[in-house]
Amino acid sequence: MTILRRRSDSGVSPSCPAPHRRKCAKLTCVNLEVRAEAMEPWGPQSPPTLAAIQNYGLAVLAVSMAVAGALLLDRFFARDVEVPLFLFAVAVTAWYGTVRAALLVLILSCISFDFFFVQPLHTLYISGSDLPYFVIFASFASLVTWFSAIRRRVEEQLRQARDTLQIEVAERTQQASLLNLTHDTIFVRDMSGVITYWNKGAQEMYGWTAAEAMGKRSHELLKTAYPAPIEEIRGELLASGRWEGELEKSRADGTRIAVASRWSLRRDDDGQPSAVMETNNDITEHKRREQEIRTLNGELGRRTTELEATNKELEAFAYSISHDLRAPLRHMAGFTELLQKSTASTLNEKSQRYIKMILESAKRMGTLIDDLLGFSRISRAEAHEAQVNLDQLVQEAISEIRQETDGREVVWTIGALPAWHGDRSMLRLVFVNLISNAVKFTRTRPQAEIEIGCKEQRRGQVILFVRDNGVGFDMKYANKLFGVFQRLHSAEAFEGTGIGLATVQRIVHRHGGKVWAEGQVEQGATFYFSLSKLQGDNS
Amino acid sequence: MRRILLVEDDPKDVELTLTALEEYNLANEVVLARDGAEALDYLYCRGDFAGRSTGNPAVLLLDLKLPKVDGLEVLHQVKTDETLKMIPVVVLTSSREEKDMVASYKLGVNAYVVKPVDFHEFVNAIKELGMFWAIINEPPPGSLKKK
Repeated sequence: MTILRRRSDSGVSPSCPAPHRRKCAKLTCVNLEVRAEAMEPWGPQSPPTLAAIQNYGLAVLAVSMAVAGALLLDRFFARDVEVPLFLFAVAVTAWYGTVRAALLVLILSCISFDFFFVQPLHTLYISGSDLPYFVIFASFASLVTWFSAIRRRVEEQLRQARDTLQIEVAERTQQASLLNLTHDTIFVRDMSGVITYWNKGAQEMYGWTAAEAMGKRSHELLKTAYPAPIEEIRGELLASGRWEGELEKSRADGTRIAVASRWSLRRDDDGQPSAVMETNNDITEHKRREQEIRTLNGELGRRTTELEATNKELEAFAYSISHDLRAPLRHMAGFTELLQKSTASTLNEKSQRYIKMILESAKRMGTLIDDLLGFSRISRAEAHEAQVNLDQLVQEAISEIRQETDGREVVWTIGALPAWHGDRSMLRLVFVNLISNAVKFTRTRPQAEIEIGCKEQRRGQVILFVRDNGVGFDMKYANKLFGVFQRLHSAEAFEGTGIGLATVQRIVHRHGGKVWAEGQVEQGATFYFSLSKLQGDNS
Repeated sequence: MRRILLVEDDPKDVELTLTALEEYNLANEVVLARDGAEALDYLYCRGDFAGRSTGNPAVLLLDLKLPKVDGLEVLHQVKTDETLKMIPVVVLTSSREEKDMVASYKLGVNAYVVKPVDFHEFVNAIKELGMFWAIINEPPPGSLKKK
């Protein structure tokens, strides 16, 4: 093959003599490479020398047989059969051999004819009157050779075209079956919009079979709604060869779906747009979720704004309480006290008691306001996260309530506590409240036992507890423990505003945890709270 | 010579404060300003106080919530004025709000006292304040001296 091509390139084609080459080029439109193969009658595998020997051998044999046949027929039967026989030899050689071989036959035929059959016999002399005869013979033989060459070339082209077509058909079939295998929706339409291919994915998505869909105009069948004028889309497709966008289409059952659509333009060999391949993905659900998320986000934004406004109002409210509510209270208490002082000698015991009760109430209201403000401050304050040593925090809390334990026998059991991440002052307040509660509700015990420890520690969460042997509580009221101003004991038995555990709960919630309690009347109580590692902590 | 400037708009608070100060016979030393503007007039010897004898008070007891010019503005004015900045200022307020406290300390307040609801505590607080600033504390030069 390589050798053959090299020889073709050098212009010495074994089968196509130089004068004929131009004709060859004119006659064929198959590419050069194919032609080079086609002109070799014994196939590209035959060595060129062997092919030449076979060719010219055929030529010599044909001429020899024609001469022999003519001489034989001349001697025994008829005269003037030599010319048809020579033409026959040329035709056979041109048919089965090459053009060159045929030309050789032509020359040899002319010589043999002159030698054996033209007077004077057995010389190569040609008289002037015989010359036209030779010319006519040569022309006729050339014509036969030429036709034969054309025939062969046409045959070769046909074969080549058939092979190409077969390969293409095979490729297309394979592609089509591959496209059918994908789950994507793929269809092809020609430039007038008529569907020419419709894969399984398209059938599954839209509900029409390939047979039903093919031949119909796609935008009519699918009732396509375009996001932009179709001229614009077409313009982009023609300019860049592709288009992408979201379309709305109808299924066979009439439901509308949103699809992400990609178009690719296919051009023919001349570069003219010939077809559009469109792939579609169903994004209806995706769009619906997007819409949902947008709605939710909008709602969230609105609520956040509302919440911020509410928070601001609350802050202003708390500020106002702090300033304005305490002043009249102070005046009530102040002047009542002055009244008490100035009337100490004149008022009877009952009136004195009334004054005392007014004072107590005023004082209690002051405490309530202070506690409530403190509680609201906990919610409003920003959490300052830091690494907190819980052991140290417990020690600080215990020393803070030293006053309450003075003169009492308290047995402290403090387990190992981990270091944790959170707002130090808030967590401290949790311990102060819980420990102070434990101290308060063990007041009736000759020996108070208070245990502080860590129940469990898992990745990212820790559960701590404060246990006492105090008066306990009835579990059926457990849900009331952490409400603001909720109290399970009378003010005479145990003082308090009912804000401590509510504060604890709020702080624990802000640390992503929960708080709960277990107890039994007169059997002590255990308060548990969990803490999560706050966001942004990777340790 | 009155050496305590009390800036307080609430007459009841004024009466309670004066009652408390009486215990140390300090009530006579008190000059009363009903709002921030009046307090500044006194300090700068202008308006109603144009004719007063010069000299700064030994202590300024200042409420925060005041008509016209509020307490924080008065505090700011006092602490940024070269002639007034040495006057000890005690904020005496109902507010336990952290932001008020922080703002006051940032402006250079000398003490921040939340008026207790309980009368005894209130009286004690006022008495101690009067006692400390008007009697024990040595006021800066240029202040009105004890008689």
